[in-house]
Amino acid sequence: MSARALFPALALLAALAGCATSPVPPGTQVPAERLAASVVPGTTTRAELLATLGATKTVVFDSGYEAWLYQSPAGNGRFTEFVILLNPQGVVAKTRQGPTSTPAP
Amino acid sequence: MHTHLRCLLLAFAAAASAAANAQDTPSDPAVATVKVSTTRDPVDKSYRKMIKGMERFEREHAYAPAASLRFQLLPRTPDVNMQGITLRVAGDTLSVKVPVEPDNSFVLPRNEQALREDAAVLANRKTTSMTWRATIVTPGLPAGTRRLGDMRLECRVGVEAGLVSNSSPLFGWLSNALTGADDVCTSPNGNYLFFAERPVFAVRLRAGARSEVLPFHFLYAGGGLPREELPFCDCQVLLDRTYYVPLWDTSWPDDTLVEFEYMSDLPEAQP
Repeated sequence: MSARALFPALALLAALAGCATSPVPPGTQVPAERLAASVVPGTTTRAELLATLGATKTVVFDSGYEAWLYQSPAGNGRFTEFVILLNPQGVVAKTRQGPTSTPAP
Repeated sequence: MHTHLRCLLLAFAAAASAAANAQDTPSDPAVATVKVSTTRDPVDKSYRKMIKGMERFEREHAYAPAASLRFQLLPRTPDVNMQGITLRVAGDTLSVKVPVEPDNSFVLPRNEQALREDAAVLANRKTTSMTWRATIVTPGLPAGTRRLGDMRLECRVGVEAGLVSNSSPLFGWLSNALTGADDVCTSPNGNYLFFAERPVFAVRLRAGARSEVLPFHFLYAGGGLPREELPFCDCQVLLDRTYYVPLWDTSWPDDTLVEFEYMSDLPEAQP
């Protein structure tokens, strides 16, 4: 096999290796009581979330809204999702809990 | 799951790109080079394929017995003007105007000559500026809900009709290679995207006494799409309205209601 023919195969292997080593990070794990005490819709800010709960998996939208995902331990290796919506002003607009499942990939 | 599939697609894309680059610099002057200067505009849809989608709707109408089929145009790039879109079926010798409603939905007329001429369905908008979906809605549902059977049929019709618009021909080819028309709607890896009417915060399934909120990774195209990959997804400007539903999970019956909690509780002001 020529070097030129090998190049695409090597590129594929390198790219697939990247798949194996860079999974999407899961939401940061925080006890449910701490989430409930730390996050108040209409009051808590982005800076306060970072300071009290730490950075986590986040999706930022063109509208300026952001969705943040935390996970709280629910026993037997399961976790409950805690999702926070930040408005464009950087203040928590609403939160939701659930579902409970094994950790996010 | 969705992330791994996307990663694999990009890996294959990288390899194919490397192959293409290798072919760009032939070392053997005796080998002829063929250049393909254009590809078919992905905004132009095959009339034959869309008719196949309509035929599939008729065959599998039992998923949504009370619903009718429409198609809908949706924005795919930030700058596209979604007002005043015109649509026509264009063949070698034929051009048939298709009326488009204010919500950019339409019904595709059946035309034997257009089928014979392998016509295209053309919108007066730029390449990759829009994406298309089937819209199948059972009348009389509670406000702000959808019905899972309708969505199962939308997926089947949408895939059969070739409606999902990817900007890269290579990406589209890989998607088709890895996910046949039936696989997309019956596999957890099918990744058929739906778009809510407004930015969505939570999606809940309800069937009788059973009720479940969908996990975060069912929203926002998996929630892990890097910004530089967004142009490959036809959710590019609809990311906050994007969600999957478990079409493949037969423990949820077709009459399951899909309920939405939106980011904003008040409807957005109409322009």
